[in-house]
Amino acid sequence: MSTTKKYWKGLAELTNDPEIEALKHNEFAEKLPIDEFLGDDKNLVKTSTSRRDFLKFLGFSTAAATLAACETPVNKSIPYVIKPEEITPGVSNWYASSYYDGNDFSNVLVKTREGRPIFIKGNELANSAPNSRVIASVLSLYDSNRLKSPMKNGIATNWETIDDEIIEKLSKTDKDIVLLTNSIISPTTQKIINNFNVKYKSKHIQYDTISYNGMLEANKLNFGIRALPTYHLDKADVIVSFGADFLNSWLNVDFEREYVSNRNPKNGFMSRHFQIEANLSLTGSNADERIPASPSEQLKLLENLHNAIKGNSAPDIRIKKLFNELKEASGRSLVIGGQNDINTQLIINSINNLLGNYGKTLDINNPCYLKKGDDNELVNLISDMKNNKVGALIISGLNPSYSLPVDLEFNKALKKVPITISTSLSMDETSSNVMYVCPDRHNLESWGDANVFHNSYALIQPTISPLFDSRQFQDSLLKWSNSSENYADYLKDFWESKVSWNKSLHDGVFYFNQGDAKVLDFQKQKIYSNSLNSDLELTLYQSTALGDGSQANNPWLQELPDPVTRACWDNYLTISLKTAQKLGLSNWNVSNGALNGDMVNLKIGNIEINNVPVLIQPGQANGTLGLAYGYGRKNAGKAGNGIGVNAFVFGFENTYQNVSIQKVEGEHEFASVQLHHTMMGRDMVKEANLDDYIKNPKAGNPDVTFETHIGTQLATDITLYKEHDYESGHFWNLSIDLTSCIGCGSCIIACHAENNVPVVGKEEIRKSRDMHWLRIDRYYSSDMTEEKADELDLGAISKYKMMEQPSENPEVSFHPVMCQHCNNAPCENVCPVAATSHSSEGLNHMAYNRCVGTRYCANNCPYKVRRFNWFQYSDNDQFDYNMNNDLGKMVLNPDVTVRSRGVMEKCSMCIQSIQKIKLDAKREGRKITHKEANDGCACSASCPTGAMVFGDVNDETHLVNKLKKDERRYYLLEEINTAPSVFYQTKIRNKKS
Amino acid sequence: MKKRIFLSNFYYCDSKLYKSLALFFIILLFSNNLFSQSVENGEQLYKANCTSCHAIDKKLIGPALAGVNDKYTQEWLVKWIKNSAEMIADGDPQAIAIWEEYNKSPMTSFLHLSDEEIIDILSYIEEAPSLIQVDSSSSTDLAVSEVNESSSNYFQLVIFLVLILFVAGLWKVKNMLKIAAKEQPKDIVDNLVSYISFYLEKTYLVVATIILLAVGGANAAWNIMTGIGVYQEYAPEQPIKFSHKLHAGENGVDCNYCHSSARHSKHSGIPSANVCMNCHTYINEGPSGTAEIQKIYDAVGFDPKKGQYIEGYEEKPIKWVRIHNLPDLAYFNHSQHVVAGGLECQDCHGPVEEMEVLYQYSELTMGWCINCHRETEVQTADNDYYEEMHKKFLENHPDQKFTVEEIGGLECGKCHY
Repeated sequence: MSTTKKYWKGLAELTNDPEIEALKHNEFAEKLPIDEFLGDDKNLVKTSTSRRDFLKFLGFSTAAATLAACETPVNKSIPYVIKPEEITPGVSNWYASSYYDGNDFSNVLVKTREGRPIFIKGNELANSAPNSRVIASVLSLYDSNRLKSPMKNGIATNWETIDDEIIEKLSKTDKDIVLLTNSIISPTTQKIINNFNVKYKSKHIQYDTISYNGMLEANKLNFGIRALPTYHLDKADVIVSFGADFLNSWLNVDFEREYVSNRNPKNGFMSRHFQIEANLSLTGSNADERIPASPSEQLKLLENLHNAIKGNSAPDIRIKKLFNELKEASGRSLVIGGQNDINTQLIINSINNLLGNYGKTLDINNPCYLKKGDDNELVNLISDMKNNKVGALIISGLNPSYSLPVDLEFNKALKKVPITISTSLSMDETSSNVMYVCPDRHNLESWGDANVFHNSYALIQPTISPLFDSRQFQDSLLKWSNSSENYADYLKDFWESKVSWNKSLHDGVFYFNQGDAKVLDFQKQKIYSNSLNSDLELTLYQSTALGDGSQANNPWLQELPDPVTRACWDNYLTISLKTAQKLGLSNWNVSNGALNGDMVNLKIGNIEINNVPVLIQPGQANGTLGLAYGYGRKNAGKAGNGIGVNAFVFGFENTYQNVSIQKVEGEHEFASVQLHHTMMGRDMVKEANLDDYIKNPKAGNPDVTFETHIGTQLATDITLYKEHDYESGHFWNLSIDLTSCIGCGSCIIACHAENNVPVVGKEEIRKSRDMHWLRIDRYYSSDMTEEKADELDLGAISKYKMMEQPSENPEVSFHPVMCQHCNNAPCENVCPVAATSHSSEGLNHMAYNRCVGTRYCANNCPYKVRRFNWFQYSDNDQFDYNMNNDLGKMVLNPDVTVRSRGVMEKCSMCIQSIQKIKLDAKREGRKITHKEANDGCACSASCPTGAMVFGDVNDETHLVNKLKKDERRYYLLEEINTAPSVFYQTKIRNKKS
Repeated sequence: MKKRIFLSNFYYCDSKLYKSLALFFIILLFSNNLFSQSVENGEQLYKANCTSCHAIDKKLIGPALAGVNDKYTQEWLVKWIKNSAEMIADGDPQAIAIWEEYNKSPMTSFLHLSDEEIIDILSYIEEAPSLIQVDSSSSTDLAVSEVNESSSNYFQLVIFLVLILFVAGLWKVKNMLKIAAKEQPKDIVDNLVSYISFYLEKTYLVVATIILLAVGGANAAWNIMTGIGVYQEYAPEQPIKFSHKLHAGENGVDCNYCHSSARHSKHSGIPSANVCMNCHTYINEGPSGTAEIQKIYDAVGFDPKKGQYIEGYEEKPIKWVRIHNLPDLAYFNHSQHVVAGGLECQDCHGPVEEMEVLYQYSELTMGWCINCHRETEVQTADNDYYEEMHKKFLENHPDQKFTVEEIGGLECGKCHY
C-alpha cells in the first residue's frame, strides 16, 4: 500500500536544496581535512621546518621508536593486600539499586568491575526501563567537577568545623529554619526530616524542578489526595494525550513498556494513540493520529471534548474521530494532559471520570508519590525570605538559583537569609551563592529507599566507596540533629523489622502493605472556562538528553542527538516552516553540510532571552514555539557551561501566550546529525497499516525480486559470494521491530557506556565526525503517496507538488542503524590489510590493531555505519571530556579497547559480551539462554520496549529464531543482498480513515 | 634463540657441583640406612598432625619440640599428647605449668593416635634436629649454581685459548716438518695473504660468499625483528624471593590455591597477601631464613612474635613485577583455557614447580597462540554447550579433528576487541 511513500531527511532535502543534492553523492559530507592536518596557512608560512627537517624528524622518531620497542617494559602488578570476598578481578558484579535525582526515577541494576560502577540497566523484577539520563548517570558519578570536600564561603573546609558552626548557628537563630528539598520519596528520609523539624522547629518545603503542581492540586480537589494516579497504559485501548510527552519525560515514570505491550500487531489489535500537541514531541512522533494545536487551542479542544462527552455540545470537527473512539472505549481509554495548570487538569480528571476510566486505566487508589512539590509554598517561602523572616535555609537535591523563574528573585532573597546551606554535588549556581556547601553523595554512592507507588518500595545501595569527602544529606541531618546514628544503620533498622532486609536489598524492590491510601470518591469541582488566545505561543519541554538539566555536565548526554530534531549540544526555539517564513526566519546549510540558523530575542512579559537560535521543525503547530529546559547552565562544569539558554526563567507554567520574538543579527551554528550519511532518498523504513497487515502479514514488505535469465529470483538468492556455513555453531542476529521502537535513544547511551565510545564535541559533530556506533535515523513522511495520486487522478506535476507539500504534520519513523554485520560484507573485500574480517558466527570483526586507516571500508559501506578516529580522543586536551581525566576514565569498560587515532571502528555487536556469555555456558556445560543472549548487547539489554532482540538464530529457544521467520522481517537495502545479521520488522501504524 | 641460563648451568657443571651432588646422595644413602622404620613413620605422623602448631626448633602456637624427650618422660608425653585436658583436670603439676605458660590454651587431644604411633613421633622428634641440618646443607645448590655461572664463562675462555695455542703449535710443527724436509718454512701472514688473493680471483667463490652472507644476514635480521616484543625467558627480580619450586614443587601446593581466579576470570590473579597469610601465620621461616616472609608481614601488618595482626596498620601492597605481559590489544581469558579447555597450567607456563625464579616459559606471540588453536581439540565430553555443534561438525567433516580452529578460534574478533 505505502511502499512508494517518500521520505525526506529534512526540510533542506524536501526543498531540493542543491547543496544537499550534491552532498548525497559524496561519501563524506565534506572534503578530507588535509589542510587541517597541516595546520592553517598563516602558521604554515611562518614555520621554519623544511621538508628536509621533517624527514630528519621522521627518521629520528622512527629510530627512537624502534629502540624504545626493544626495551623490556617493567610492569608492576599490585594485588590486593586483603582481597574483598565478593570481588574477583576481571569478573563483574551486579547490584540491584534505584536511581532518583528528584526528576527521574528508575529501578536499576548496576554493573561494577573491581568496585567501579560502569553500566546501568533496568531491574527485571521491577519491569523497569531506565531512560538515557539514568543510564548516563554512571558517567556523572565520575564528574571531575564534583566537590572534593565541604565548603565554607567557597573555601574548602572539613566536616568537624562545618558541623560545629552549623549546629551552633541553627540552635541560636530565632527566625524560621526551612528545609527546601525536591520531592522526598524516601520514608526514612521523611522520618529524619520530621525529627529534624521537631528539634529545630523547622519547616520542610518540597518543590519539583519540573513542576506538576497543577495535577497534584487538581487531584487534591477531586480525590482529597495530593498525589498522582498510577497509569495502566497496557489496559488503555484509546490513549489521548493533550501535550503530555509521556514516552519521553512526562512524570518520568517508565510508561514505554506498558505502552508497547498493547501495540503488538501480532495480536491483531493495537491501541489507538491520539496526540494533540504544539511541539513535535517523541510521543507525538509515535502517535497514530497527531493533531498539531497551540496550547490555547488544546485547551479549547479539551473543553469541547469535555462538553461533548457530557452531551452538551457537538465535538469539534478536528476531534470528532477521537471523540467517537473515546466514547466507544469507555473504561478502556485514557485522557492525559501535560499542562501544569489546575483548571486543565480538573477537566482531564472529569473526562476520565465520565468515561469510567478510574480504577481501570488509571488508579488513584494506588497513588504514585513521585511528585510532591508545592509551588505556592515555595512562593511564600521566597517572600518570607525577602521579609527577613527566614533565619536558615537548607537546600537539598535542588538548584533553585538556576531553575526558578527570575520574577521570584530567589538569589536576591537568598542574600537576606543569614545561614544558607546547600548539599549540591558540585559548585553549581546555588552552591556558589550559599555560605555552606555540604556535598551530598552521588546516587551510586548512597543508601536509600523509595516509595514511588503505594505499597511498593525500592532500595538504593551504594555500589562504590565514596570518591570524595562527601556525606549523604540524611547523614548531615542526623548529625545536625545530634544523632549518633549513621543513615545506613538507620535505614537497615527501619526496614529490618518489617521486611526481609537481605532479600529486599538483593532484589532492589519489595512490597510492604501500609494499608489503603486515603482517597475520596470523585468530588465534582467547578471548572472555569478560559479563553486564551494569542498570535505566538510557547511550550517548554524536557529534552530527551538533559531532562531538567541536573546532568548538564554529562558529555554523553550533551552529545546525544535529540530524537526528533537530531541536533545536540544545544537548545533552540522550534518553529513551523509557515510561521518562520511569516517572521522572515530561516535555516540553511553551509558548505560542509552543517546546519546554521537565524537567531531571535524571545520575550514574554518583561522577561527577555537574547540570541535564541531558531530551528525549523516540521509538525510544529503554526503560531507556536518550543524550547527545551535544562540548558543555559552557568556553573554546571566544563561540558555544560554556556550551552543553550535557560528556559526556566519564565515561570512555573510550561505554556505561555503572548510571546514575541525579534530577529537579531548573526547566525547560530547547530550541531545537527540530521544530514549526515545521506541514505540517497531510498525507502529505508518499510511500513503498513494495521488493517492491511491483518489481511496480509507481508503487507508493506513484498519480496524483493529480480528478473534473471532463469526467471524471477529473490534478491537474497542472487550472490557472487561464497556462502558461509551458518548452520553449525552460533549465528548471532539482531532483530529491530520498528513498530515498537519509539526512538528514545537509551540504546545510544548504553552503547556509549559499554563500548567506550568517545565524545567528540560540537565542532566535530558539525564536521560529520560523530562517533556514535548506533544512530537512530528519523524520517518525516508526506501524506501524499503514489497510490493516492492515482486515485485522485493527479497529473505528474501536481502529484509531485503535493508530495512536496511542506510536511506540516508528518508521519515520523525512527530507524536505528548500526553495523548490519553483513554476511556478504562490502567492507571486508576492500580492506587492504584484512583488518575487518568475517566470523563463523555471522559477525563482522574489526581488529583495531591491524587497521591502518585507509577508510576504504567506510567508503564501501552502504549503511554508513563505520566511524573513523580522526583524532586521539583520550588524553587529549582538545577533547576535554571524560576520557581526558583519570576520574572520568573510571567509567571505561576494561574489556573493550580504547581506540587510538587513525583507526576505523564500528558496532561489534558487543562481542566482549558475546564472548563472555559463551564462556559462561562452556564452563557450566550448558546452552546459552535467550535472556542471557538478549542482555549481551548493550542496546537490546537497555531497550525499554523490547524492540531490539538479540540472540542465536540457530537456537530455537531464542526469540530471534522466530523473529527471523516472521513475515514482517526485512533487510536494509535488501536489493543489494549484503545478507546482514541485523534485520528489521515492518513498522505497523494504526491509522483509521 | 637464547638458551635458558638456569638449565644450561648443568651442561657445564664442574667438579664442585659433582662434589656437592655426590655429597648429597651419600648423605641420602647414609641417612636412609640410619633411619629406622619407626622414625620414618613418625615423620609422616608428625607432619600430618603436629606442624600446624609446633616446630622442632622454635616456638609457634605450641612450644619448640627439640629436646622434649629429655625434658619429660615418655610415659608422661604419651598421656599428654593423647589428652592434655584430662591431665590438667587431674592436677598434674608439669601439665598445669605448661598450660599456664601458654595462656591456658589447651593442646588438641589426639585420642586417635595409638601409643606406638606417639612413640614413633617422639623418636622422629629425637632425630629431627640432625635431619634439618642435612636438609639445609643440601639446599645450598642455589649458591653452587651461581658460582657455576661465572666459572662456565671462564671455562669457555680457557678452551678458546687452548685451541689458539693448539693451532699455533700445529703451525710450528708443520714448519719444523718442512725444515726437516728441507723446504722453505712459510710465515703465517704470507700464507694468509696468498690464500686470500687465491680466493678473490675465483668469482664464483666471491658470489657464493656474498649470497651466504646475505642469507645469513637476512636470517639474523628476521630473528632479531621477530624477537622484538618477545620476552621469552624473562625472569625479573621480584620484591620477594618467592620460590615456586618450594611451594608448588616440594610442598605440592595446588596452583589454584593461590591463583584461584584462574578458574573464574580472565586473570589468573596474583594472590593477595591475605592468601599468603593462610599458611604464613604459622610458618615464619623458610629455607633462606625469615627475611623474605617478613616482607609479607610488612605488607599486611602482622607481628610474628606475638602471632597477631597489628591494629590500625597501614597496609603496604606488594609490588610484584609482571612477567607475562600480553599487549592490551589481545584479550586472553584464563578460565576459558583452564576450565573450558581443560589445559594444565604447565602447558603454557612450563615446569613452574621446578622454577626457583619464575620466568616466562612460552613465547606468548600470536603465532604461538594460533598454532595451539590449530592443533588442540575442543573438550566436548560431557559439555552440553558443544553437543550440537560437534554433532553438526561430524556430519559435515567425519574424518576431521574438532579443533579450536573449527569453532572460530582463529578469527580476529575472538581475541581483539
